[in-house]
Amino acid sequence: MNGPGAERVHCPVCQARFRMPGGKGIGDKVICPICGQSLVVRPGQDGPVGERPDLGTEAEIRERVDEYARIKGYSFNEMKEEVIQGLLGKRRRFGDFYCPCRMHHVPEYQCPCKPTRGGDVDRDGKCYCGFFWKK
Amino acid sequence: MVDKIKVYALSTCPYCKRTRKFLDDHKVAYDCVEVDMLDDDAQDKALEEIEKLTGRQSFPVVIIGDEVIVGHDEDRLRGALKL
Repeated sequence: MNGPGAERVHCPVCQARFRMPGGKGIGDKVICPICGQSLVVRPGQDGPVGERPDLGTEAEIRERVDEYARIKGYSFNEMKEEVIQGLLGKRRRFGDFYCPCRMHHVPEYQCPCKPTRGGDVDRDGKCYCGFFWKK
Repeated sequence: MVDKIKVYALSTCPYCKRTRKFLDDHKVAYDCVEVDMLDDDAQDKALEEIEKLTGRQSFPVVIIGDEVIVGHDEDRLRGALKL
């Protein structure tokens, strides 16, 4: 695991395996560049895995969505707080931060959901829930 | 007088909350089904009904007589309710 890009970190939110940022290693805090989740790098069976340090907290989802919007250059509108309350409701009732406007609670709908990460905002101007907006 | 108004909503959906608040603020009586809070069988039945009416699973769905309004749309609500 010495070559550049050889070491990757598994993100438990978006399931990406992203390249370990330079100078970072086991025990360090990193941000998933795909979904914006804050992670602490832990050793795993198949290489480093990210652990969610603030699992399920309001701080976690706020940091994740703010970071994702920053990475992508997206903005929020006046619905932001109401959508966050919906995300917190999903967490309380259905176990994690799934899209509050969708019926189903599956990993691909963990916010920011797979269709959003796949380019919905760039194509439609907003995500399914009207949370992330193209500037 | 039209039939009793029906709303299909999700408990976590902010637009559903806005639609319900709009109806409440205008003293409009309605039956609301929170589809995500139903048990499996009732949920399947509700989702089938929603798909039949709208062709998709998007919320809220407001049924006012023959009119089916998908999403929070105050203009259409006003029109359908003659407000």
